[in-house]
Amino acid sequence: MERISIDPITRLEGHGRIEIFLDDAGNVANAYFQVPELRGFEQFCIGRLAEEMPIITNRICGVCPEAHHMASVKALDDLFAVEPPPAARKIRELLYMAFFVTDHTTHFYALGGPDFIVGPDAPPGERNILGVARKVGLDIARQVIGCRSRNHHIIQLLSGRGIHPVAGVPGGWSRQVTSAEQAEIVEAARQNVEFALFTLQLFADIVLANPVYRELVTSDLYLHRTYSMGTVDGERRGNFYDGLVRVVDPDGNELVTYPPSSYMDHIAERVEPWTYLKFPYLKNVGWKGFVDGPESGVYTATPLSRLNVADGMATPLAQEHFDRLFATFGSTKNDKGRYQPVHHRLATHWARLVELLYAAERMLELAEDPEIISPHVRTIPDPRGIKGSGIGSVEAPRGTLTHHYVTDKRGVLQQVNLIVGTTNNYAPMAMSVKRAAEGLIKGGVVIEEGLLNRIEMAFRLYDPCLSCATHALPGQMPFRLLIRDPQGTILRELGRKP
Amino acid sequence: MTTTEKATIIGIGNPLLTDDAVGIATVRRLQETLGGRDDIVLQELYTGGIRLMEAMAGFDRAWVVDAMVTGTVPPGTLRRFSPADFVATRHAASSHDTDLATALETARLLGIRLPREITIWGVEAAEVGQFGETLTPALTMAVPQVIAGILGELSAVGRSSCV
Repeated sequence: MERISIDPITRLEGHGRIEIFLDDAGNVANAYFQVPELRGFEQFCIGRLAEEMPIITNRICGVCPEAHHMASVKALDDLFAVEPPPAARKIRELLYMAFFVTDHTTHFYALGGPDFIVGPDAPPGERNILGVARKVGLDIARQVIGCRSRNHHIIQLLSGRGIHPVAGVPGGWSRQVTSAEQAEIVEAARQNVEFALFTLQLFADIVLANPVYRELVTSDLYLHRTYSMGTVDGERRGNFYDGLVRVVDPDGNELVTYPPSSYMDHIAERVEPWTYLKFPYLKNVGWKGFVDGPESGVYTATPLSRLNVADGMATPLAQEHFDRLFATFGSTKNDKGRYQPVHHRLATHWARLVELLYAAERMLELAEDPEIISPHVRTIPDPRGIKGSGIGSVEAPRGTLTHHYVTDKRGVLQQVNLIVGTTNNYAPMAMSVKRAAEGLIKGGVVIEEGLLNRIEMAFRLYDPCLSCATHALPGQMPFRLLIRDPQGTILRELGRKP
Repeated sequence: MTTTEKATIIGIGNPLLTDDAVGIATVRRLQETLGGRDDIVLQELYTGGIRLMEAMAGFDRAWVVDAMVTGTVPPGTLRRFSPADFVATRHAASSHDTDLATALETARLLGIRLPREITIWGVEAAEVGQFGETLTPALTMAVPQVIAGILGELSAVGRSSCV
């Protein structure tokens, strides 16, 4: 058996490694996406007071601290049995929308989008924000930096600190919004809406209008018919901050809609011997291996899956683009009025932009809400009300994020369980990598740079964040491709030089 | 005149991942010495790439302190890079967006004002996979050396620019 190793994976938060094993005929026998372990998180937390968790968990990751902060404060609301006042909920969601705008923007322009904008066969050194700037103009790069800057500023304004919010507390938020700040946020949100519309137009012009890229997006190369997961509001429209978790089957039939507090009734985790990370799956469907279909408990929790489970978007412009996306894939509505799911995984990039627009519109709605400047931002919890268990959930950019804390009566942590966005998608990522490899490596065909990149594209579309793990730096090691014979001897070594 | 010159010292890393916190630990310690200076801004960052470029924008000089894992030198070993070097510290790049070189080149292309001197100190780490808030002994001993190095360069800069 030949072995192909791709390491490091460029442009990923955290170090991963892909191993592709070929059979004697030179076809793909197996593909493994391995993630290194970080040790001791639960032990690190146990014995601390639960209210430290929003500050601790937002340091797990430099990329999505806001998501951990929100899931954590919501878990504390639950633990302390306290309901935040409406203004606090709105401030939290407002900050969260600013975070989504900057995160989705960065992913599209710097991480995932360059595969399309610069091209899947372009040299890896050009598939970055610089390549995007050269291809479509400096003004676009300027807008990306401007978008990041204004939203980081809003996040700092609302949360008291730039990178790691500290303002979330059980029962609310620790500072109110002034009317001057409100005016500034409204203006930033308006610019975000314009920028999101501009980005969707760019996607239409560059990707959808290009037959080659359009074919790539709509081809079977990255097609997986799995279950979809996402959070929906009371009207079953997508929501990032709060709601019920809905799961639909590959045909779009609802499997279940459950409150996040009952996640343990619906999600189980599979352990495989070749990796430290566990594979979550749908408990009531069951683990059938890394396979598609309604019999397999594998699900995705991504921008695309969030659109798949939703009856629609809660803002008008995002709704138009939601309809356009499903129409492009020929999806029709079922008898429940919901579109049949789209399973072409590269459409996740497009879905991310629909979400970008939703986040911008929702941010504007919240910023214009007169209640956002209310001084009533906190309900003080009664320490006697500690329940002993608290569960909080949000949609992180990379998937449904759940924090679960178990404490004693004083609120001292006894157990901590987190299911992070990326973990949900671990099984689908492994499947997509294998699918891409199967489609592109046949009969021992020589691997070209563009083909390697298409394997990377398979998991990059999930926007995986394996953070806190070892950081693979582009350039730290040369990009290596090893082909080994069944004894493990290297037959060929191809690679990207730093 | 050098009175309007502004410098920044940026520690990057995860403060909860044992030796990955060496950059953060360094700037926190520098706070004791430099905290009162108007011309020096100390910053903590968790990711590099575009974020690091943004953090340096507008300053005249920048120092960055980060952990590195080369596996070829003993823990605590210091290495000094300029962005033109092949920078092998852990967080100079953000694998979520781009590497430092690309981020800096993007900034130049866009006319964002970058420091004319950027120095990156890498400190070889022993343990970056374990949650913990304490540096291992070799790294604890390395922090004063990095501080001495940066303070030396800061004052050398001050002298030469007064000439």
